[in-house]
Amino acid sequence: MKNKLFEKYFIFSPYFWLVLFFFIPLAIIFKISISVSEWGMPPYQDIFLFDNGFKINTTYENYVYIFSDYYYIGSFVNSLILALISTFFCLLIGFPLAFFIATSNIRLRNMLLVLVVIPFWSSFLLRVYAWKIILQNNGILNLILLNLGITSEPLQLLYNQYAVIMGIVYTYLPLMILPLYGYLNKFDLNLIEASKDLGLNRIKTFFKVILPLSVPGIVAGSLLVFIPVVGEFIIPEMLGGSDRLYYGKILWEEFFVNRNWPGASALAFSGIIILVLPIVIFQILYSRWSQKNEI
Amino acid sequence: MDNNFLVIENISKSFGDNKVLENINLNISKSEFFGLLGSSGSGKTTLLRILGGFEKPDTGRVILDGTDITNLEPFNRPLNYMFQSYALFPHLNVFNNLAFGIKENFTQKEIEINVRNIAELLSIEHLLNRRIKQLSGGEQQRVALGRCLIKKPKLLLLDEPLAALDKKLRSKTQLELTTLQKKLKVTFVFVTHDQEEAMSLSDRMAIMKNGLILECSSPEEIYENPKSLYTANFIGIANIIEIYKKDENFYSDDLDINFKLNKELQNTKTNILLRPEKIKIQSINNLKTSSFNSFSGEILEKSYLGSFTRYEIKIKNMIISVLDQNFNSNSNYNFPKGEKVICSWESESIKVLED
Repeated sequence: MKNKLFEKYFIFSPYFWLVLFFFIPLAIIFKISISVSEWGMPPYQDIFLFDNGFKINTTYENYVYIFSDYYYIGSFVNSLILALISTFFCLLIGFPLAFFIATSNIRLRNMLLVLVVIPFWSSFLLRVYAWKIILQNNGILNLILLNLGITSEPLQLLYNQYAVIMGIVYTYLPLMILPLYGYLNKFDLNLIEASKDLGLNRIKTFFKVILPLSVPGIVAGSLLVFIPVVGEFIIPEMLGGSDRLYYGKILWEEFFVNRNWPGASALAFSGIIILVLPIVIFQILYSRWSQKNEI
Repeated sequence: MDNNFLVIENISKSFGDNKVLENINLNISKSEFFGLLGSSGSGKTTLLRILGGFEKPDTGRVILDGTDITNLEPFNRPLNYMFQSYALFPHLNVFNNLAFGIKENFTQKEIEINVRNIAELLSIEHLLNRRIKQLSGGEQQRVALGRCLIKKPKLLLLDEPLAALDKKLRSKTQLELTTLQKKLKVTFVFVTHDQEEAMSLSDRMAIMKNGLILECSSPEEIYENPKSLYTANFIGIANIIEIYKKDENFYSDDLDINFKLNKELQNTKTNILLRPEKIKIQSINNLKTSSFNSFSGEILEKSYLGSFTRYEIKIKNMIISVLDQNFNSNSNYNFPKGEKVICSWESESIKVLED
């Protein structure tokens, strides 16, 4: 009986986690986002007032404020585009790598997997900072280019959106490779041989057999890269320039520079809803589709 | 008959230090049903994969219908390969699995007609809209077969075609496969570790061991007149007896009897094969022991197999297997355990093994 009770509650532990670390913080953010801002600490008024009887003190002004200024929407769009491009490149580089790892012999495979994971052993900040050293005007890359005579003066490689994309692709690549590998690892290689045997060359085999059967791995890896990149703050801050503003940076500024907590919360909450809602809908449709197609 | 339809010439293959195939030579005729039989590690699957184009041989050539195909990619070879796991595409239904190999070169209407025809041939018309996971093992096997045959290959390679089926379905499918092959007159080369399967399907078969072909002949020839000790043991039940020349006759220490052979022998010492069904078993009261080609022994074990009874008969240091046909309907016909019996055989039934 005691065991039964344990089992009953044990299966709820993921939900407990989700509530504690996602829904409660989200509710707090939502609460702040509908509060009236003021100078002070914290920089917003309570939403329930008891001074002269009970009064609810909320406002939707913060939402009006962020949605009426293209500064905020634009930064979010920039971040979405950045996330899309980064995810695309992660997929482009990650898929062949994951496929190669999944199909190589066990010794080489384990070594390659360790190589994929090794960057995680050093600090994220250090790794991004290392790119700064490589890309800066008197950095290693420019030095090589100058010495080889490819350019006559140092190239401006740092502080632009390309450096940001490169940094993100570099940092997030393992998050693409690992779920893809996990999926491709189970891939029946006989299917590729069967396709070739039936007359399809390598390219056609890729598009008719490998790609359709890899969709679940591609979806998992892409979501794992796409979602956090939208809110990415450190990489654009360190490698990016003033040519483009991103959502994470704006959030930071609203919270810590402008001390506009209600506005920043409204921005954060809107971002999460805009991002999560389509993904939830997509997940539902996708799981129906994959059930129907038995993938 | 064109004896050189498929020519396998001096094929060798190693994986690292491991020699998998050593100088394989085979000629296979058109419309032949050819079996490669061997235990695991004999190199039979590697040979089949070389024919399919999935492995490149280190040396040698493969010539199919006059064309050297050794260096052709699998997708350029006029042959098809049926995988042991069937390798059906899980993301496509039966229709699209069947049509997979002909989609490129045919119009929608032609594809439709071809798929219907092949489905009819294999009696799977009712399955065309099903997903692969909704099929039974036997149905999957038919789809895999159909997916290959729809391409009208010159040669069909089958890797353990019946291994994934349960026993009852296997014997039924065996018969269907031979009927289909004779009807379509496509050359089939298949790999199996199951000697019964090899015997019942093959027109001719090759016995493989450690990357070598030991023997290649018809199933009857291989069963009745095996050349090597390995083949004799591998195919069917075998009583192997070591004999040596003693005076004018051959003598076995293990059995303490003399053998009379109907041919001369080069060696003074050799192994002979005596198949269990060639041995006649009689009650000791009926007959006197002759000094040649017979012995008396005691029944150690018996197992009733329906049409046959298998006896294990102990004589001196050896146990000899005997298969006795249950000719009489009288159940008392069987000899009980522990009974002394006389076993005898014709001298033609003694097969001398080379090594």
